[in-house]
Amino acid sequence: MHRIIAMLYQEYFITKRSLEVIVDVVFFPLVNIVVFGFLSLYVAGSRSTHAYPLLVGMILWQLVYITQYSISVGSLWNIWSRNLSNIFLTPISITEYIFSFVISGSLKALIILVTSTLLSLYVFHFNVLHLGILNLFLFFLNLILFAISTGIIILGLIFRYGTKIQALAWSVTFLFQPLTAAFFPVSVLPSAIRWLAYLFPATYVFEAARAALISPAVRWDLFFIAFTQNIIYLPIALLVFVKLFNRSKDTGQFARNES
Amino acid sequence: MKQNILEVRNLIKHYGPCIGGYTAVNDISFYLREGEVVGFLGPNGAGKTTTIQILLGITLATSGSIQYFGKDFYQNKQHILQRINYASAFNTLQGRLNVMENLLVFAGLYKVKNPRNKIMNLIEYFHSEELLSKIYWNLSAGQKTRVNIIKSLLNDPELILMDEPTASLDPDVADRTLSLIEDLKRKQNISLLYTSHNMDEVARICDRVIFLDKGNIVAEDTPLNLTKRIGQAVLRLSFDGSKENMVKYLDSHNQKYKFINNFIVSIVTEEKMIPKLIFGISKTDLYITDIEVQKPTLKDFFLQIAKGGTKHVNA
Repeated sequence: MHRIIAMLYQEYFITKRSLEVIVDVVFFPLVNIVVFGFLSLYVAGSRSTHAYPLLVGMILWQLVYITQYSISVGSLWNIWSRNLSNIFLTPISITEYIFSFVISGSLKALIILVTSTLLSLYVFHFNVLHLGILNLFLFFLNLILFAISTGIIILGLIFRYGTKIQALAWSVTFLFQPLTAAFFPVSVLPSAIRWLAYLFPATYVFEAARAALISPAVRWDLFFIAFTQNIIYLPIALLVFVKLFNRSKDTGQFARNES
Repeated sequence: MKQNILEVRNLIKHYGPCIGGYTAVNDISFYLREGEVVGFLGPNGAGKTTTIQILLGITLATSGSIQYFGKDFYQNKQHILQRINYASAFNTLQGRLNVMENLLVFAGLYKVKNPRNKIMNLIEYFHSEELLSKIYWNLSAGQKTRVNIIKSLLNDPELILMDEPTASLDPDVADRTLSLIEDLKRKQNISLLYTSHNMDEVARICDRVIFLDKGNIVAEDTPLNLTKRIGQAVLRLSFDGSKENMVKYLDSHNQKYKFINNFIVSIVTEEKMIPKLIFGISKTDLYITDIEVQKPTLKDFFLQIAKGGTKHVNA
């Protein structure tokens, strides 16, 4: 636990000292929510209830983005400072290392969820809590698990192939934005790629969120699929990460990442 | 007899396919005893850094065994990493954090009890109080080295691996850093595995030197014994008399020489021949006015190896 707390300290200090992180995990998400909120109102016109799927989609999307970003970019800060080796020369285990970023990413996501809830309440008169507390918990849990799996694989790829692919850390999630039908029903997607959307747990969460706007009843059927996919994907992601991490140490890339 | 802190057996690191790949470390074995400072030297590409990376677990070995404190490194990694540390000019701490924050993070990673007290004790020991609140990125190279060494002492290590800790430092800062390392060795009996390109500092602080070349250990001995292996020294004589007579004398004794000017000659000869030569020349009509003997140094040994002369320097 000491070592996880130490890594969280480092995350806190880096966030406090880096305008880039504050912009990426606070400014952009909140601005996106504001923009999507106004866009939703404009598109929906007088039928205000039709506005909220877009806004809810954006609020929930930020949970995926912030968590995945924290896991993938957290290590980049140490690579850029040539400090990553120093960390791995301490007794920290890879599990502790990843877990610290999972905690930090989830905390940041939770803070943004609370902030965006307040923002949408006061600016757009939409109370996210109307979706149901249990629903919100299940949205949060499944989206965070999905983001952790994605973040871990991207982190593994960065360790394996170096900073030349670092842009993946803040860009890959945007690929999932249309594929997981964050802002529209899956039925809008062309039928040829609809099956692909159903491979991602986030798709079911967004479907459940849209359903919750109409009725706050929990869509257990959708959550069951999302959660099942998450508990399959997470160990796979960890295995892929360990393989990439070991390969990186075998080829010498891990040490070269800082040169 | 002191116990082995580190024991490496038949370490091999091969990159790429079995055929046509590249062997960075080729079946090396060595040890390091408690309280000993061992220099790890060799030209660029000799395999020093790869070996250090393997010893720290950030690069995987192809084969071979590594034991710290009598325990297998890979099976007891966490326990061993708690007892060793690392300092290098090439690894820095987190640039955005100030020195205190960086040290607190590492104190946490090493589970240091009373971290603030420990950090303050080390900071005072290294007279670095003024650095505590400074952002690491803004420190000078010398200050960063000092902080890196402080970081490497946070867990009271029994062994520190140092990879060119004085690289890119001004001579005076490098000298102060070396004094600190000597002090640590004297007062805390810490073992060190030390790589450097600076032969003078290796000769100054190392009890034993391991020379690597193309992934192989080509020599292992004390700095003094290694220089003795060179065998040859340079005798520089200033003299009064005829240059022709000096040439005649040196040729008749099969000496290699070079005239600096008409009255100064530089003779490359076996060390044991020097008294005989001086005595012999003084018995001619040449009058020796000044004698300077340049004994072989570790640098000469290093240069011999870099030129591929391992056969000449091996005992």
